[in-house]
Amino acid sequence: MNWQRPSGRAVPVIAEGLGKKYRRGWALRECSVEIPDNRIVALVGPNGAGKSTFMGLITGMLAPTAGQISVFGDRPQGNGLHPAVSYLSQAKPLYKDFTVAETLKLGAKTNPTWDQKYAEYLVEQAQVPMKAKVGTLSGGQRTRVALALALGRKPRLLLLDEPLADLDPLAREVVLRTLVTEARNQGITVLLSSHVLAELENVCDHLLLLGNGEVQVAGDVAELLSKHVVLTGPVNAPVPVPQQKIIGMTVDEHRRRLLVPVELAHVGQPWAPSAPRLGELALAYMRRSALEKAA
Amino acid sequence: MIWVSYRQQRTQLITLLAILVLGAAAVLLLRSSMVGDLARLGLENCHGASPAGLAECSKKIDEFQKSWYDTIKLGMLGLLLLPVLIGMFIGAPLFAREFEQGTHVLATSQSVSRVRWALSKILVGLLPALAVLLILQKLVSWWALTAGEFGPLDGGPYSTFIFGSANIAPLTYTLFAFCLGMFVGALARRVLVGMTVTLGVFVALRAFLGSLQDRLLPTERIASPVEVGFQTPKGALNVGMGGYLDASGQAVPYEQSSKITQQCFAEGVKDTYACLRDHGLTGTYADAIPVSQAGTMHLIEGSIFLVLTALLVAGTILVLRRQS
Repeated sequence: MNWQRPSGRAVPVIAEGLGKKYRRGWALRECSVEIPDNRIVALVGPNGAGKSTFMGLITGMLAPTAGQISVFGDRPQGNGLHPAVSYLSQAKPLYKDFTVAETLKLGAKTNPTWDQKYAEYLVEQAQVPMKAKVGTLSGGQRTRVALALALGRKPRLLLLDEPLADLDPLAREVVLRTLVTEARNQGITVLLSSHVLAELENVCDHLLLLGNGEVQVAGDVAELLSKHVVLTGPVNAPVPVPQQKIIGMTVDEHRRRLLVPVELAHVGQPWAPSAPRLGELALAYMRRSALEKAA
Repeated sequence: MIWVSYRQQRTQLITLLAILVLGAAAVLLLRSSMVGDLARLGLENCHGASPAGLAECSKKIDEFQKSWYDTIKLGMLGLLLLPVLIGMFIGAPLFAREFEQGTHVLATSQSVSRVRWALSKILVGLLPALAVLLILQKLVSWWALTAGEFGPLDGGPYSTFIFGSANIAPLTYTLFAFCLGMFVGALARRVLVGMTVTLGVFVALRAFLGSLQDRLLPTERIASPVEVGFQTPKGALNVGMGGYLDASGQAVPYEQSSKITQQCFAEGVKDTYACLRDHGLTGTYADAIPVSQAGTMHLIEGSIFLVLTALLVAGTILVLRRQS
């Protein structure tokens, strides 16, 4: 396998036929994807789709059952995280009896690439007092400190497993904004997992959609959107495209909305084509994979 | 990484320091008070006292022992307990607490290999504990030595309190208990499980190896004329019941000797010893592991604990390195 791209910079993540089986069955199967450089990737899927498993495989905390995975050209080992990768798990673990300053000192002492000024800047920006014990912070503040710890080691790939799950809407917005700003400024690839795409819709430029432990959709958002179209028409009008071509369908009182491949955009009256929204597209694929599972 | 481990175990380290200061102060104060008693009673003249002074001395010794014998033993008991306490309160939470609170992910999310992370935690937890233990051991044994044969040391090197608090025993017990707690804690990912299993396994293994003691080393047979009766050197570890010897120095089987003794110790026998000799029981014997072998005994028991400790360390590293 050729991990190195002609450009010379190693690709953050390449998975080939990647699979992970637990006692209860396959959590991830036949996963062949590439996460390109310098993107903000939304890793989306319903609960149990394999998002956390995929992240665990990237960190090396989990060992693949099948296939292979490479992170910046290296195979993840159980012996520690790749130096260019930062990982923030769902629980955002921090030592509760450490102060914020001590938490940053932990980062400084355990990371050769640590940037203390940058980490302090991130904490100050979040207006978290340095002397406060981590255990006394609010959920939003804790997330900001955890983020400062993850970003302070200057990663090239940042893995965030449901980082917004326990935050109020205001804190969500602030955390996301910080994240996007820093990712853009520092040239970091960010992999954000969530089962709610809506909150990532405006920030991500790459989508990786998992369902039933398999990759349902993967690609740059702009490209994905350009390959699909939404047809809107009256509820009582006959459906103008073959059933198997329909990716998703929503119906309200007056109108029916069909998500179909862009080739089918011009089916004529009364169906009007329009560009799909990312959330709509992802939801359609998620529904379809849920239906497949049920079938 | 050392700083992180130190910061995490600060509470335990402060507790250890407190134990050291309080323990050392207690031993120093008690010992100096004991030295005063020794001088006041004039016990220095009672070492191997002449029969004339014996009665006088035994009264003094009684008085001395009433206040100091059990006090010194209490100090030794502290040394017996310290290893398992270190195992339970420093060893068991070492990794189990991280797993319980999910913070092992934090530690392994930095640029430190899991093995280095583990080793720094082990060193920061273990070395101060060992230092405190060894200092306290030195102090308690110095105290016991000052009392000498008037104190608990008269029981000989194999008595439970002496053996467990002397030589390399506290060191090897502590290494074992610490690594046991660390391994079980890492495996079960529960502090409480680690603590409970450490307590149970440690006590059981100590008792088991203690019961094996008389089989670990060859015994020495001490023969005496039948009139003198069973005698073993002071402080030696008696093994078996002992028995009778015939004229050629051979041990007489118990079934045979017991018939004779029943006969000779029966009422109405004028001269028991003559009776025994007439029936061929000319001597008695006792088997014992001599005092001089105590060091070897410590080495053997210590090696068993060290081998188990090495296995536990290897097991812990395996558990921590495991990808799930």
